[in-house]
Amino acid sequence: MAGKWQLKDHEAEAQLFGRRLVVAGVLVVLLFVALIIKLFNLQVSQYDYFSARSDGNRLHSQYVPPARGLIFDNRGQLLADNQPIFNLTVVREQVGDLDETLDHLDSLIGLSSDEREQFNNRLRRNRVPFSSVPLRYVLSDEDKSKIAVNSHKLPGIAIEPQFVRQYPLADLAAHSVGYVSEINRAELDSLNEEERENYGGTNHIGKTGIERTYEDLLHGTVGYEIVEKNNRGQVMRRLDRTDPIAGKNISLYLDSQLQIVAEEALGNFRGAVVAIDPNTGGILAMVSKPGFDPNLFVTGISNKNYSVLVTDEINTPLFDRSTNPYPPGSTVKPFLGLGGLHHGLVDYEFTIEDPGYFRLPGVSYRWGDYTLRTAIGGGHGHTDLQKAIYQSCDTFFYDLGNRMGIDTMHGFMSQFGFGQNFAVDINYARTGVLPSRDWKRATRNEPWYPGDTINSSIGQGYMWATPLQLATAASIMANKGKVVQPRMLKAIDGEPYLPEISEPVADVVVNDPDYWRYIEESMSMVIHRAYNDVFREYGTAYEAIAMADREMPYRMAGKSGTAQVVGISQEIIKSDDIQVSDLNQDHGLFISYAPAENPNIKPQIAIAVFVENGEHGSSVAGPIAKTITDAYLLDILQIDFAALNSVDDELIALVDE
Amino acid sequence: MNNQDFIRQSDGLDSKSRYNKSIWHTIHTDPPLLIGITLLCGFGLLVLFSASGGDVPVVRRQALTMVVGLVVMFIVAQFNVHFFRQWAPTLYAAGLGLLGLVLVIGVEANGAKSWLDLPGLPSFQPSELMKFVVPMLMAWYLASRPLPPRFKHLFWSAVMILVPAALIIIQNDTGTAIMVTMSGIFVVLLAGIRWRIVIAGFIALLLASPAWFIFLAQEHQKNRILTFFNPYRDPTGAGYNIIQSQIAIGSGGVYGKGWGEGAQSHLDFIPESNTDFILAVLAEEFGLLGVLFLIALYLFVLARGCYIAFSANDMFGRLLAGSITLTFFFYVFVNMAMVSGLLPVIGLPLPLMSRGGTSVVTLFIGFGLLMSVQTHGRGRSV
Repeated sequence: MAGKWQLKDHEAEAQLFGRRLVVAGVLVVLLFVALIIKLFNLQVSQYDYFSARSDGNRLHSQYVPPARGLIFDNRGQLLADNQPIFNLTVVREQVGDLDETLDHLDSLIGLSSDEREQFNNRLRRNRVPFSSVPLRYVLSDEDKSKIAVNSHKLPGIAIEPQFVRQYPLADLAAHSVGYVSEINRAELDSLNEEERENYGGTNHIGKTGIERTYEDLLHGTVGYEIVEKNNRGQVMRRLDRTDPIAGKNISLYLDSQLQIVAEEALGNFRGAVVAIDPNTGGILAMVSKPGFDPNLFVTGISNKNYSVLVTDEINTPLFDRSTNPYPPGSTVKPFLGLGGLHHGLVDYEFTIEDPGYFRLPGVSYRWGDYTLRTAIGGGHGHTDLQKAIYQSCDTFFYDLGNRMGIDTMHGFMSQFGFGQNFAVDINYARTGVLPSRDWKRATRNEPWYPGDTINSSIGQGYMWATPLQLATAASIMANKGKVVQPRMLKAIDGEPYLPEISEPVADVVVNDPDYWRYIEESMSMVIHRAYNDVFREYGTAYEAIAMADREMPYRMAGKSGTAQVVGISQEIIKSDDIQVSDLNQDHGLFISYAPAENPNIKPQIAIAVFVENGEHGSSVAGPIAKTITDAYLLDILQIDFAALNSVDDELIALVDE
Repeated sequence: MNNQDFIRQSDGLDSKSRYNKSIWHTIHTDPPLLIGITLLCGFGLLVLFSASGGDVPVVRRQALTMVVGLVVMFIVAQFNVHFFRQWAPTLYAAGLGLLGLVLVIGVEANGAKSWLDLPGLPSFQPSELMKFVVPMLMAWYLASRPLPPRFKHLFWSAVMILVPAALIIIQNDTGTAIMVTMSGIFVVLLAGIRWRIVIAGFIALLLASPAWFIFLAQEHQKNRILTFFNPYRDPTGAGYNIIQSQIAIGSGGVYGKGWGEGAQSHLDFIPESNTDFILAVLAEEFGLLGVLFLIALYLFVLARGCYIAFSANDMFGRLLAGSITLTFFFYVFVNMAMVSGLLPVIGLPLPLMSRGGTSVVTLFIGFGLLMSVQTHGRGRSV
């Protein structure tokens, strides 16, 4: 056999090859069988599992946020609108290397470190997996196209349209209408399970003002849809949808025209105006100046813009002056005078001889008459209640307050809303302070001293009131005691809204209804009592209001007030040789209502004006109130006083016949 | 003796029927093989149309490549198998020369420096040529030696296989190197290498593999192997392809989601859905039945290839045809096993289904060689 090795045995080799080929064939079949078993395992045994995984890959249930209700003013002018914007969003789970992707985006559209930080904050928030997180709100068309072109390199990055709030009046009604902004952690935590579900698709929530008060009405109900997404998170098809229910459109009593007038009337002053229709309680204007642009907050205010707003310690634009308290000063005098009449402490004939100061028996300290401190000196002389109001005689009210006592004063004044919030739907408004023995004991742990009563009698000392409270009190005065609580919301989806007030405030009742006429006459004299031969017998606001507009077709009842800036010692303010800086100047206040003393028409508007460091209530705040009243009565309501009065004349003629 | 008789008889019958009944033999084409290939191409284009998302230019280019392949196959089939036997050493030497040239002036694409861009020629990969030149040389070498091969022949065989394989590995194209090596090894196996050597070699490979894994394997290779054992160790990275591919296959079920309805592929969850992972698209849209149909088509082509090898009239033809057939099977199996998670991911296309250029033409050269073996020189052997 050894010799055969060089010979080729063709038959044997062919057989060997054949056997090998058979072995190979068997192996081929066996391997295919193994493959088929594997495929059977995948496609038959595990079909349900993989089928579900496949659906899980592509099918996504997502929230459809409801359209937020619109806010209109009382004549259908939009105060808060919804505008479409395009957001750049990120689905974290679909992005591989987040930093790399953000760097790539940075090279495309430029991301500021501010934006990155805000985005990281949003990512850290509790959120549903695979939900999209906004990286930038409001993409420009150019940036949109840059991202669209590069979308294949940016998995998990998408451009999503969204409707966001837009405030056409910008900073004019920033405080009263308020604004929406991104929901934060604390707000999410405060929602219950159901509410949180309802906010699943919503990025924004009302933060201040009406937007916050009526969040429930405005938000609406979330909808759902099932969509098919590709591996880059782009929605390919919509498979099922439950429509969201849009929020309710609401109308306010606010009149944007009057709001603008009030804002402009304040000029360059810091301050606030609140105007109320005494008949409905509707708030016609509520201005706090300076304002801010609420639109900045909607899409996430930048740190830079925000720090500008919060570091301005003088203008404090975010601070709502209309609902925060200040010393009301002499504006409380008509209410105190009414209380004096009601409690029999004064009558129409009662007078004092005013030396220009007041002294408590046995106390050497003299309470000076602040209204006279820059004038000629001396007192008002022979003074009755009416003169004490139109001349704003402090001494008269020191005496009246002293005799009334703090308990009676607190009881009577609280009926006008001092120390309380009468507003139906401005729950964030502060209540100010109407001091009492209990209040002082509770807050300061001190007894009430007689001197405290003296200070309170002229709206100083512990007494604090918000412009909203002053306007409310003026409106109750205008209604001759009938209380119509102030409110913002007028209608929901066009249906007039009548709030259910659980504990309605009782009307103010005085022993003799003529007292109302008497006080109205006194307040009217503040504005209309002209200069005459008698020393100090003109209205404090006559020069600034009635004398400035001799054609005034209606009468206005008002009261000025000048409140000392708290925290600065009396000596500095009284001293002549120290230059008093603007910030130390007194606050000017004015309350009014009109038309007054008109048998044909009830008062239509009650106003409180607060001018920060305005120095004088009568000369600075008074004309502002006059401008607003003019605008409302003559331009907006277009009341023809001449015609009204002629009707009156005809009636008189008729009766005479 | 019976076997021999049987071979002769069948051989004679076969050639008689062919000569008498058809013109196929004169144009050197094997109709069953052609039918199998055509069916596979048609099915491949159908799946590619869906996998590419209805991209007509892609499908048209693939169809054109297949037509070019058929023409090349037809041309190759016209050469007598003896021509290849004579020229095998020369082709091999030229192939080695080209591989060497690639190392110097090669062009890099997809991470592998394996392309030659010679003036006047379309750019091509010499490593592709080696896929059939190496088995050709091995068949030439072993056919003229007594079988089963002696040890020294095996040694030289190993050298002849490993030199081109090493050159291809240097080009950083491990996939092709494995295919070239396998095509050579198939010749040796078919030539009747003793089982104990085969088993010893297999055991040696098993023992060496941990050492390879620890010392030689590159990071991405290690990753692929670790991912094979547990795809969920990095579900969005290394494991993503195989996870999504299994989801596609599994969700296809028995009947599939329907042509063009594969959510996984149409929503771009399957990576490389036009090339290496096209089986996932097929399995998702046509279900288990579609995959079985594909396997049946492949089995038909493989059976015909085995028959051609079995009935070849000399050892060169047998070895060449057998090696080409088994290499074709190796492609098919490795790809299907990898996509279904039975093997680690190796970048190999699914023959006649995956989109491709040069590699498709290489396949058709192989089919041309099979037809050459089938249709030439049969008369002389009888």
